[in-house]
Amino acid sequence: MTEQDKPVSEPEESAPEGAADETPQVEAPASARPARRAPPHEEEAPPEVLNSRGQTTLGLLMRIADPYVLAHGGRDDIPWIETRAQSLIEVARRCRDHRDLDLKMLHCLLVVDYTEHLQAVYVLLSPVKGTRAILKVNVPADEPKVPSLTGLWRAADWYEREMHELFGMEFEGHPNLSPLILYEGFEGYPGLKSFPFNDYNEF
Amino acid sequence: MALDNKPQDAPLFVPGSWDRPKAGKFIDAPEQGDTSTGRGNRPAANLLQRGVPGVITGKLDELAALARKNSLWTLTFGLACCAIEMMSTHMSHHDLDRFGVVTWPSPRQSDVMIVAGTVVKKMADPIRLLYEQMPDPKWVIAMGSCATNGGPYYRSYSVVMGVDHIIPVDVYIPGCPPRPEALMDGLIKLQEKIQRDAKEGPNAKPPVIAQAEVPQEGLVEPDSTDNAGEDDGTGQTS
Amino acid sequence: MTTHPELETVDMMLNMGPQHPSTHGVFRMVLWIDGERIVDMEPHIGYLHRGSEKLCEGESYGQVVTLFDRLDYVSNFNNEQVFCRAVERLMDIEVPERAMYIRTILCELNRVASHLLFLGTYALDAGAMTPVLYAFRERERIQNLYEAVSGARMMHNFIRIGGIKEEVPADFVPRVRQLLGELRRGVEECDNLLTFNEVFLARTRGVGVIDSDTAVSYGLTGPCLRASGLAYDVRKDHPYEIYPNVSFTVPVGEYGDCWDRYWVRVQEAYQSLNIVEQCLDQMTEGPIMPQMRRIARPPKGEVYVHGENPRGDIGVYLVSDGTDKPYRLKVRPPSYCNLTALRHMMKDAFIADAVVILGSLDIVLGEVDR
Repeated sequence: MTEQDKPVSEPEESAPEGAADETPQVEAPASARPARRAPPHEEEAPPEVLNSRGQTTLGLLMRIADPYVLAHGGRDDIPWIETRAQSLIEVARRCRDHRDLDLKMLHCLLVVDYTEHLQAVYVLLSPVKGTRAILKVNVPADEPKVPSLTGLWRAADWYEREMHELFGMEFEGHPNLSPLILYEGFEGYPGLKSFPFNDYNEF
Repeated sequence: MALDNKPQDAPLFVPGSWDRPKAGKFIDAPEQGDTSTGRGNRPAANLLQRGVPGVITGKLDELAALARKNSLWTLTFGLACCAIEMMSTHMSHHDLDRFGVVTWPSPRQSDVMIVAGTVVKKMADPIRLLYEQMPDPKWVIAMGSCATNGGPYYRSYSVVMGVDHIIPVDVYIPGCPPRPEALMDGLIKLQEKIQRDAKEGPNAKPPVIAQAEVPQEGLVEPDSTDNAGEDDGTGQTS
Repeated sequence: MTTHPELETVDMMLNMGPQHPSTHGVFRMVLWIDGERIVDMEPHIGYLHRGSEKLCEGESYGQVVTLFDRLDYVSNFNNEQVFCRAVERLMDIEVPERAMYIRTILCELNRVASHLLFLGTYALDAGAMTPVLYAFRERERIQNLYEAVSGARMMHNFIRIGGIKEEVPADFVPRVRQLLGELRRGVEECDNLLTFNEVFLARTRGVGVIDSDTAVSYGLTGPCLRASGLAYDVRKDHPYEIYPNVSFTVPVGEYGDCWDRYWVRVQEAYQSLNIVEQCLDQMTEGPIMPQMRRIARPPKGEVYVHGENPRGDIGVYLVSDGTDKPYRLKVRPPSYCNLTALRHMMKDAFIADAVVILGSLDIVLGEVDR
């Protein structure tokens, strides 16, 4: 990400009182101190640069997903583009079916919690051509809805189930969003920053 | 700690001297605190004692304990990383078969449950079920620091901090993962416990292990400042 | 599938529960069976979910390395390496060449150890009790070396951000050379026992077939994907560290059945030994860690790095906010993605094949559940 094209900036992670100021959605007992963090770097972060292969891939991506791209960036040879949730399936299908990009494998799907919004990140990869790309979708935290990509990649099934369980992200169109890794009756979304840390129930 | 001991009189720590009893007896030192590991599992009273209460079956119990301790069948219950070390211990290099230990998949026919690995809250119910399926006499070994008290996952939202929240444990083996030799040591301790329990009966007091008298002078207090977040910036590598 | 059409049958649900001798770890499979044929299968995971990703957000980068050790607990060095590569990429650190060579030697030996474990336990699943003893004997040799190098047989915490923790012992190179000879003989012994064994072939040939297009759609990587015919190896396609300097072949299977997956792993073990030998020849003296701060504080940014685990592609997506603790650390575990294809592979298989198919995927529950 270069400095100018971050749509919503990440929260300034200042000294320890940063996390304690947010009201957690789950009641945090006295032992739920957030972990102490050191203050961030004072120096400017070096800009992320794409090498030549990354530039080529980014050019292809921008061309085929032209009307839907909100922002772009990348590092080394992995470019990223950001789209809206409504256009995600279309962009993903074009990435998968394009003959030069050939991004046939959904390598990773994750959700990052930026407190006011959640960001779904899709890492795509081509085992044959060797191209890699990242798709990002930002959704507001109070209405986290993203269309499901299970129609395009079968790997999305379990990824989305896990992200739904850990972050509360809704994937519309997913056939079966039942709990996968947490035990039944687990309350809350443990991946979110508002989930109390350092807290455990003596079983 | 007996601080009035002169340093040259008190023996320095000699490995094995503090936990092995002298001449077959444990040294009772109640003023030093109870460092016992808990009562753990005790085999139910045998048929004779249940049928005719008041009968003392001394030598028979000891004979039974001798037979039981030399053929402990463990339930294959490897949960996580400790399972790999448990497998290594069963294999030909550090052989557990020479102790009579055979790993058996069914809980109905096993004696010992070696809980090797992290106990997760989702797994707590199956562990309880398995423990209850094991017939008496049964024992439990908590292998590794995750089974002892949560280990490196002590702040996690989904880990049970030690398997002794769910089932009674006889022997705790620390380590992450414990070496095969440590697991063998734990099994030998369990064998000693089985023999001791049979000898002293079901109401025996748990053993108290005396602590070594280590000279206190000359020890340096550890630096108690928290280094996280402070960087001297001198560029020293760790 | 009954022989008498007037008989009414009901599918039976069989639970291969979390404690089972052949599920590698705490994995639960619910099978719906019609006689001996599996009609449907539902995997249940999460019995080892320890919350590592959330825990990483509260630990400094140096402490996260220990958590990564315990993810895929059979191949510890590979996990440490991929995480350290992610942080080094963010911080723009150049790892000294000697450190890279030592890392690669340890990682490739770990690959051999992991494949030996697979070989042993897979044979045990298929019913052979001898190869597991041989495999573990060879593993003991490797673990002895690891103990001399890092102090621990399993959770090493040796590959650190920037390089490695400390210099290897003085007799490292001759010791590894001797170990290579012993390992070659050991792997060959297990190979001769199993690979063209009639009973083993009957159990694994034609079982659990998956073609390469479906495999790619399921996100399969590693030996499972290569057994289906696709030659995709991170070390060749997106080479990292010193893999451009060593030459090795990537074994590729033909049919995508269980035997192919087994055979690819055995061949990979041989290739790893070749890589280690080349590394020993090319290794030079030099520093093992560059001059850098003790507390790693990568600047704000994101990076995605993936490396070749013995099980497949392990990916690490690291979001850093400039402090000394990660903001978000996501691990893309290879076994998790390989497991999604299990249901496809088990269509119309026998119950006895269920164990063989699961074994051929070589999953480690520590990284499936994290």
